[in-house]
Amino acid sequence: MAAPNLCSKCLRQALRYSLPSHVSRRTFAASATKSPSTERRLHQASRQRAAALEPQRSTVNEPLPNTSRGQQDKKDASQRQSPRVLLRPNNLFHSYTRSPSPEIRQRAAFIRQNAYCPHPDHQPTRQPTSPFDPEGRKTVEAGGAQQPPRHVSHECPDCGIPVSCCEEHFVDDYGSHLEICDMLRQINEDDHDLVSGRFFPEFEYPGVQIDEAQVNLTNWDTLLYSREFHAVNEDRPMRQVTRLLTYPITVGSVLHELSPYGLKDRILPEGLRSLSALRYTLHPPRSGAGIDVKGIRPNPPPMRLFVLGARAESSLPREVWLQLAHLFPRATFHVILIGPEAMANRDNEFPLPERTPANPFGAIVEDRLGGQMKISTYVEYFHTLHAAQHFYPYDPYFDCFVLFHPGLGHPASSHEWTETLPQLLETKVPVLCTGYTEFDMERDIAWVKEQAKGEADLLMQAGENRFRSLRWDLNDADPGDVSCGNWGVWAFRGKRYEADEYRGKREDGDGSGGWEK
Amino acid sequence: MPVGRIPSASYYDARNRPGASLYRARQPYLIKNAITGVVIVAFVAGVYSFTIRAIGQDDFSDVPIPDAPIQGAAAPHTTAGVRSAGPA
Repeated sequence: MAAPNLCSKCLRQALRYSLPSHVSRRTFAASATKSPSTERRLHQASRQRAAALEPQRSTVNEPLPNTSRGQQDKKDASQRQSPRVLLRPNNLFHSYTRSPSPEIRQRAAFIRQNAYCPHPDHQPTRQPTSPFDPEGRKTVEAGGAQQPPRHVSHECPDCGIPVSCCEEHFVDDYGSHLEICDMLRQINEDDHDLVSGRFFPEFEYPGVQIDEAQVNLTNWDTLLYSREFHAVNEDRPMRQVTRLLTYPITVGSVLHELSPYGLKDRILPEGLRSLSALRYTLHPPRSGAGIDVKGIRPNPPPMRLFVLGARAESSLPREVWLQLAHLFPRATFHVILIGPEAMANRDNEFPLPERTPANPFGAIVEDRLGGQMKISTYVEYFHTLHAAQHFYPYDPYFDCFVLFHPGLGHPASSHEWTETLPQLLETKVPVLCTGYTEFDMERDIAWVKEQAKGEADLLMQAGENRFRSLRWDLNDADPGDVSCGNWGVWAFRGKRYEADEYRGKREDGDGSGGWEK
Repeated sequence: MPVGRIPSASYYDARNRPGASLYRARQPYLIKNAITGVVIVAFVAGVYSFTIRAIGQDDFSDVPIPDAPIQGAAAPHTTAGVRSAGPA
């Protein structure tokens, strides 16, 4: 195909329209960002589904995955000549059980089998996780907890999601359902939007920009504009795209030198020290490097981002992770995804590599991502890897730990972090944490403060993340639990004892590390 | 070239007007830019008006204008003793 005179954008558009329509189908299961995709190739425009065009066979671009899913779709497309169900934008609200999409019907079946009715008359099935949790109302003193727990089956007619076991309980508890009904309806429409078969221009991510291009990190709109994303005029595509981008951009927005958080905002002096060290690596001075022999310069090692407790973020499409590398043009990255659930929704990549002396933990290493980023996945607890000194030495100029909604203080998961936390503090490397809600973050901070016993310094005060996901996610095991990815962000680090100039006694008790607001 | 429906990817619509995302991207800077613009225009207007006033006509209303000269004697070119030499 003659393409010497087409710019890259026009070429991509032309390719997009000539792809066959049985391109990899996105299924968004459960409550997290999962995009099962075997594609790690960069120049793949196959995220789109050409909506109203007939599939045109093109001989040039067949880099499509020949996975079982791709072949199944090919067979389906050839067997049935009728076009796919296309949900129009004004036809996106459907009841989950009677949805036109089989994936959503499957989710509805899952919800009906796993979620319990939140009415106070039932007996509690689990500990309440927060003071706002409806499970906390199921107490005998409050006059409830008489009936055995029952699964939900009755759907709210306004939001289409099963929320109660029967209509009587639904009507009785309508007041508390009304608080989240609008949000659930929005989630319903967004979920149907993903399976509607429309064209997704918002999932076309831009590539690198020139070095001099400044990125504006004030809010999502300025970021997308200055990074030359395609224009997202409506709210719904904005929600869809920020749900994925929040993971790399949250990290980038804190580490970038043009970060919206500063000393006057939420960064503490200790935080500025850690961030300055990292920015030294991330924004190196120009060295006169070029592509010829005269332009050879010594390059520093890559910046290592350890994503601990990785679940959904490990299955993000790699173009999304590359957006982090594009924010820092002269820096290289090694994103290390560590956690027992790091292969969530990546079933196509099993079995894991063999454990050899060169790769003692059977890590999956993806290094064909364009030269600026390498992504490794370890299906292990971090304390195992730390005890084996696998990543030793840790350098505060190159390393950063990132914990996306770790649930440090959550009663169900905090025991898994007790062994890791002292090791994180001992490395003296900044640890960036996010949380689902303000309560979640406060609980995490309290847990860290208590476990660290004075050995931790707060680097960044907890607060709303400017680059949080704008889309709310539904927890399939509990439809009343809506959360948005990376709602808030904060950071801490092990306390460094360094000789400092004596400046007299401080009355504000600053020696405690800045934990109090 | 692509045929069919082309999705909107530009920040300007088909009639080259800014789209909603462009307005949202500009929104944090609207007030500050407007004030800066007003200040610049005011400065220019001030310089202009000062200059025009500075090069305008002077005001001589405080200077006393002497009376018109008296016609008549002691004007040397009107005595009769002068003989003209004829047209030259």
